[in-house]
Formats: sequence, structure tokens, C-alpha cells
Amino acid sequence: MAIAAAAATSPTTARTTATLSPPPPISSSSSSSSSSSALLNFGLAKSTARPRTTAGLSISCTMTRDAAAAVAVTEKDDSDPALWSRPDAFGRFGKFGGKYVPETLMYALTELESAFNSIRNDPDFQAELGGILKDYVGRETPLYFAERLTDHYRRPNGEGPHIYLKREDLNHTGAHKINNAIGQVLLAKRLGKKRIIAETGAGQHGVATATVCARFGLECIIYMGAQDMERQALNVFRMRLLGAEVRGVHSGTATLKDATSEAIRDWVTNVESTHYILGSVAGPHPYPMMVREFHKVIGEETRRQAMEKWGGKPDILVACVGGGSNAMGLFEDFVKDKDVRLIGVEAAGFGLDSGKHAATLTKGEVGVLHGAMSYLLQDDDGQIIEPHSISAGLDYPGVGPEHSFLKDKGRAEYYCVTDEEALEAFKRVSRLEGIIPALETSHALAYLEKLCPTLPDGTKVVLNCSGRGDKDVQTAIKYLKL
Amino acid sequence: MTSLFHFKTTAGHRHNYPQVVCPNHAVIGGNRHFKTSKSTVNPSVLRLNKYGTPAIDPPKERLEWVVDTKSPSTGKFGRFGGRFVAETLISALEELEVVFHHVLQDPEFQEELTTALKDYVGRETPLYYAERLTAHYKGQNLGRGPDIYIKREDLAHLGAHKMNNALAQAMIAKRMGLTAVIAATGAGQHGVATAAACAKFGLSCTIFMGTADMEKQPSSVDLMNLLGAKVRPTAGSFKDATSDSIRDWTEKLGEVYYLAGTAVGPHPCPTMVREFQSVIGRETRRQAAEKWGGTPDAVVACVGSGSNALGIFHEFVRDPTVRLIVVEAAGFGLNSGKHAATLAAGEVGVYHGAMSYLLQDEEGQIICPHSVGVGMEYPGVAPELSFLKETGRMEFYSASDEEAVEAYRRVARLEGILPALEASHAFAYLEKLCPTLPDGAKIIISCSGRGEKDTETVFNYPIS
Repeated sequence: MAIAAAAATSPTTARTTATLSPPPPISSSSSSSSSSSALLNFGLAKSTARPRTTAGLSISCTMTRDAAAAVAVTEKDDSDPALWSRPDAFGRFGKFGGKYVPETLMYALTELESAFNSIRNDPDFQAELGGILKDYVGRETPLYFAERLTDHYRRPNGEGPHIYLKREDLNHTGAHKINNAIGQVLLAKRLGKKRIIAETGAGQHGVATATVCARFGLECIIYMGAQDMERQALNVFRMRLLGAEVRGVHSGTATLKDATSEAIRDWVTNVESTHYILGSVAGPHPYPMMVREFHKVIGEETRRQAMEKWGGKPDILVACVGGGSNAMGLFEDFVKDKDVRLIGVEAAGFGLDSGKHAATLTKGEVGVLHGAMSYLLQDDDGQIIEPHSISAGLDYPGVGPEHSFLKDKGRAEYYCVTDEEALEAFKRVSRLEGIIPALETSHALAYLEKLCPTLPDGTKVVLNCSGRGDKDVQTAIKYLKL
Repeated sequence: MTSLFHFKTTAGHRHNYPQVVCPNHAVIGGNRHFKTSKSTVNPSVLRLNKYGTPAIDPPKERLEWVVDTKSPSTGKFGRFGGRFVAETLISALEELEVVFHHVLQDPEFQEELTTALKDYVGRETPLYYAERLTAHYKGQNLGRGPDIYIKREDLAHLGAHKMNNALAQAMIAKRMGLTAVIAATGAGQHGVATAAACAKFGLSCTIFMGTADMEKQPSSVDLMNLLGAKVRPTAGSFKDATSDSIRDWTEKLGEVYYLAGTAVGPHPCPTMVREFQSVIGRETRRQAAEKWGGTPDAVVACVGSGSNALGIFHEFVRDPTVRLIVVEAAGFGLNSGKHAATLAAGEVGVYHGAMSYLLQDEEGQIICPHSVGVGMEYPGVAPELSFLKETGRMEFYSASDEEAVEAYRRVARLEGILPALEASHAFAYLEKLCPTLPDGAKIIISCSGRGEKDTETVFNYPIS
């Protein structure tokens, strides 16, 4: 604990971020630069830092831009993924992750972590969770051989990969999100919490949370950016129908990141009675681990189904990455299998050079957002860049710390796909398979265009069809001019 | 034409009522005297046994309730059903029947269908114990009440039971070597399911939809377009779209496959659709046995034309201990003239090729039905359901628009499930049913579809 405290816990992650690699070293005399005050920002108005001199300091410290060089520890050979601590005791995945939160939340997070560890091996809890996933959510979801899509990618000489879709779109509420929502609400009940809060962007996670709260009779408050509420009036109504209270957030840009900050603020205030259902593998420890564990059923089922269908493992796993939960859910069981390629696909929006995208792992830099250290889209002042993607679920300026870790380790590969390519894939899969994928999922499907020509004959590709696209039909029709 | 099963009305003898005018087809031979069922707006009344549940005298021959599907037949369910079509369609229907019976026995077809139902549609759908809904009704009755289970057809691909049938028939079309499919749709669910099945099998697809329905459900039209189907508007609603599509089929015989969406129409369509939907009931029996080691006491389903009801009932028809309950749309009320309660307020006649109950006025003209659940707006009903009504095997009730919307909200709030407005009619009937049932009775409700498509309707529905 003491070590964690010493490692720069930055308070209120609400509006600012602390970058770990400020441009000028502290020993310079121009010490009232904005970057050093960003390091020490306690939410105060602009304050000038005291001028520093090196005289009198007995400790010298080098700050470099290149974080990897700063780690002088000789690490034992950890090329075996099975030996990686994901996460370690402090919630870190390598240097990513952690618990960058105000002091008031530390206890709640610890309590959550020990509750989670106790249910992990509790057969009663697992049985209850399994029963609900089966009867309420509709698991297990099928692993579907996409025949016409496979034919589409077959090369003129008849060779090509075999494409399978993991049908998370068939879940109740139409996306993978409910796996985690159910797990967390059961955990909250075990903790005796009666009040659930969550944030939502377009409304999908909000609806999933409201759904599970209705199912278990808990009070539910959803924070949503005022701008998003206008664009998604029907989802707001849906959440209210399900008995949730939807609170609009007007601060900042009135979108997801502001709603998240507001939700965290609520949690800080009401921590004893309230559980915060985070929708993705982001946030402070233990959330990235917990959310991944609740979604890992996706990958476990896939392993079993792959064995049934072709007596082996998938060669490649493909999933879209916004926060990263559906990808971690599919990947988790296979991370230790080095012969399985893991591919994440992010949103390139209008294009990587346009500045309007959400390609965090490609274009981001390391920093702290919403309690965790990870890659994020930030400008030179460490301010969050407003991301853009046609799909709301990928429209997140950060990414789960575990993805940052897997990327740096080279275990997983990350690419990105533009809005236009995603829309094309949306239409293509609807027409070839009669499955309407969510626009988020369409990004993963779009990447097949680049991937399949490179694959040898008979490669087994499993793609996570993370959600259905009924919610996106209006948008797609508008852009595709059907 | 002779029927394999002789049917005696409970009243015993026949009356000489004036012949009902059938606007679409001439009645070829057959019985010209019909027993009218006027003003049966009261729910059917059955004798109660010592447990307070209805006692149904099993007929002397159980077979009377079930039409054999294993061999070609005349397609009659008692006096209902049949094949009242233009001469040109008869050979197409006969060919279809032969292919249908062939695929029922063909292991290759059955295996492909089972795999597709499992991997593509997501079967089997769960039988879900609705804890909070059960507690809600028990709470209103001093802690005593039935246990409510929901058959989750809303979890099927595309959110309705329609996919079960569309998939199987698209496979039949492929088998027959046809590359074009036509279908008619009301609310759009069947159109979307057909479009998806055609996309999956690479068939071209044309869906006929009434302009009134297209306005009410624009999201369905968008979905069909996206899935690669062509939507052909017909002036009017589902009944007109159906007539138009049958007409189109007659013109293009041998080129297109007519994909019937529900258990109406000329033989073999009602039997085919029922057969492909009966997977619902088969799963339900197995799941009920697993969960509580028995059969349900009552099975409740909404009925528009009847495919989801027949799908879940068929398995239990021979089991007299299982009550079969359908709930129709009472719209603005059974006496308002704006409803779709065919079994309650209809009369027997021939419509779309089959004899069945239908909503007609004194001149035999079809009355335009109304319901807030667009899929319920069919003025006819499956001939097999008409048969189950007349034999007293099935009970029929109705729920108004308001009750259905209220049920939608109630299930959303208590279970986090948004049932389709059509299915909400079945949920609405629980209000009346639960207080009459003994503690621990097992009810299964067929949640035939999901209600995301209806959120806007509920949003705009005036709250009284």
C-alpha cells in the first residue's frame, strides 16, 4: 500500500491528466511551465510553481521522454505469456493500469477487489451467475461458420481462410456488455449495495446496466452527456422504462468522458451505499481485471466450440477495440497460447491524419485517465483530445491498460479502420450473411479485407461479433444512401 | 371433398344458416352451412375440476385434436383449413407439399436445419424463470400465485420466432432450385426474417408490405433494404400485401418461392409453418422437464395469425392437463369495432385460401383490424387455431391496446425485458389469469419477440 501511495497518485482525474513524460526536465529554470503544474495539479486555479534550483538537492532524478529507458531493472525473461502477472498485486499490467484515484475511493476499490476474489472461486456464486447467463442472457452464444463471407474472401485459386463469428450479438440486449453488467450487479448485491451508478455514451452500457438493475430490483442512476442525451432520446426513454434515472451532464463537452467523471464524482460522494458499474476494461484496479473476468466466458466458450467444430484452436482472433472489453473477453483464454494471433481493430474515424479518430493504440501516448495508466489520445498539454468515430462505442479517448500492455509486449497487434470502411463492412455482412453487425463490430469485420488476402488456406479466423446493429440502421442508411 | 377427421360440434346438430359470401374464392363443393359464432365476446367457459383448473374432457380419440403431418392430407383441421385457391396454384401447392414431406424425412436437410437453427438463429432459446414477475403477482395475492416462466423467443436472431420458419423455408426454396423468394409482411418481422434467410442462402428476395404498415414500422423497411431485399409497397395493410403476394406467385409460378410467414393460407402452408415453429414447443417440454420434472399447467401465447402460438402449443395439444391459452388484440375494446379479435368476434369464412374464423361484416367484406401491436393486425387466424377453439381444446381471451402497453412497461420494469407489443398482449392477460391459479402452478408465456422496435410507439402512447 505504501508503495502505491508513493507512486504519484494524482487526485481528481476528472478534468486533467498527468502525463508521465513532460517535455522539460524539472531542473530547468523555466519551472512555471504548464506541464509541471499539470503534474502537481490539485484542482486549484493556475498557480505558479516555486522556482527550483538544483542547489541543495541531494537526490537527482532524470525525467526522460522514453519511458522504457527509465526502467533500469533487469527483468527476467518473460516472453512466456503464461508467466505474466495480469495484473500484479497493485493492479498493474507491466507499467500500465494501477489505481490513480482520490483517497476516498481507495477503500472502496480494495473492498471491491477482496469481494471479487472471494466470489471467483465460490461455487454458489458461480452457479448463480451461470444460471442467469444461461436463462436470462441466452448463453452460450454460438460460434457460427460464416459460409458466404468465407466464400467472399476465397481467392481465385480456391484458397482462403475460414471465418467464424462468435455471436455475442445474440445476447439479451444485443451486445456482450451484459455479461459484465450481470456479474457486477451480483457482486454489488453480495456487497449489500442498493444503489448502482454508471456512465454511458450512446446508451448501450446504460441500457445494459438499467436492464440488470430492473432484473434485480436495484436503484439505478445513469450519467449521460447532455449532448448524447439529445442524440439518443430513444435510449434515454428505454433506460427510464427500465426504471433507471438518467441524469444529464452539462460540463465539458457534455459527452462520455464528462459523464464518466461525473459518475466517479458521485461514487466518491456515496461510496458506502453505491456500486459503480464500469462498462469496460478501463478504470482503476480492480475494474480492468474484473470486467475482463466477467467477459472471459466468451473466449472459454470459443475454445470449447472450436474443439467441437474442427478439433483445434483458432489461428487468429479478431475483435474491435473501444475500451477493450469484448476483445479482452475473447482474447483472455488464449493469451497464453502463443500460436494464436490476437488482433484488435480500432476506429480511424475520418482517417489517422485527420485528427478525428479514436485510434488510441496507434496514435496515443501513455498517460493516466479515469484512474488507470494506459495509452490515450492527448495533446501536448496533456489535455484529452475529443475522439471521433461513427460508432459511439469506439468513441473513447483511452483504452484498457491490459491492451496497452499486450501491445507493448507484442502479444497482440492493433490496427485501425475508417468510418467509411466500417460502413462498407456493415452493408457487406448484412447482405452476405443476413446478420446486421453493430457499427463497432463492423470495424473488426472491415479489417478482414486487409487480413484475409495474407492468410494461408484453411486458417481459422474467429471474429467477435460483439453486438447487433439494429441501433445503427438509421445512421448507416443515411451514410450509405440505400 | 372428404375430410379424414369427422367433426361433431358440441351443439350436436347443424343449423340452416344463410351461406356466407366468400369474397375471394368460390367454395368448391364442401359444406355450405356454417355454424356462426356470433357475439362470443365472452371468454370461453370451461368446467372446473377440483383444483379449480379447467377440466377438459379428453375426446374419445385423441387424434381428433391433431392433424397427421407425416403423410399428404387434404389439409383440413376439422372443417377448417383446406385449399381454396385458383386452379393455377393447385399444382404448385401439391409440389410444395411433396417437397415438404420429403424434407421432413431427409436426414441431411434436418441436420443442416438443426445446425443453422443452433449456430445462426441461436437456438435453443432459454426457458427463463421470471422471479420478479412471479413475486409481483404473488404479492398481490397474499403470497400465493403461479410460477411464471418465459420462453425467450425474443433472443432468437433478429428478435422474433419468425426466423425459425423463414430459415427452413429458404432452405426448401434452395432445394427446389428456386433463386427468388417472395413474402408478405405485416409488422415487418417476417419480412426481415425472410430477407435475412435469403441473404444467408444467396437468394433474391422481394417483400410485399402494406403502405400503412410501412409508415408504422419504418425501421423494419430499413432493415429489409439493408439485408438486400426489395420492398414492394401495396396500398393497405398486411391483408392486402398477402393478397398481392399470392397474386404475384400465381403469375410467376415455377420462378419464385412463396414464403408463408404464418400458419394461414392454403394447404400446405399452415401445416408447414406450424411444423417449423413446433421446435419451440419441443424445446419447452424438455426444458420444463429439466426445471421442475413435469409439464406446464398453462401455456399462454399471443395470437395475430397464430404461428408462435401453434409453435409452442403443438407439442402439448395431446396433453389435456396443459391448458392452451391464446390472447388476441382487443384494440380499443371488443365493442369498439377497432380490434383484431378474430376468434372472439369473427365468423367462419374462406380467406387467403383457407377456411377459418375471420373478421367480416354482413356482406362478407373483410373488416380492417386494429391493434397497437402491428403484428396482431390480421383479420383472419390460423385454421388450426380455429379448430382448437371449436373443439374446446384452447381458450381464447383478449387484451386491449392499453393493457398491452401497460404490460410492456411492467415487464420492462420488473424483469429488464422489453417484450414485443404483440407478446405484451400475452403478458397483459396474466393480470386476470394469475389470481385464479393455485399456488405453485406453472405457467409458460411465449415471449414471441423483443420490443426494441416498439419503444417509440410506447413512448408516444398517451398515458391515461
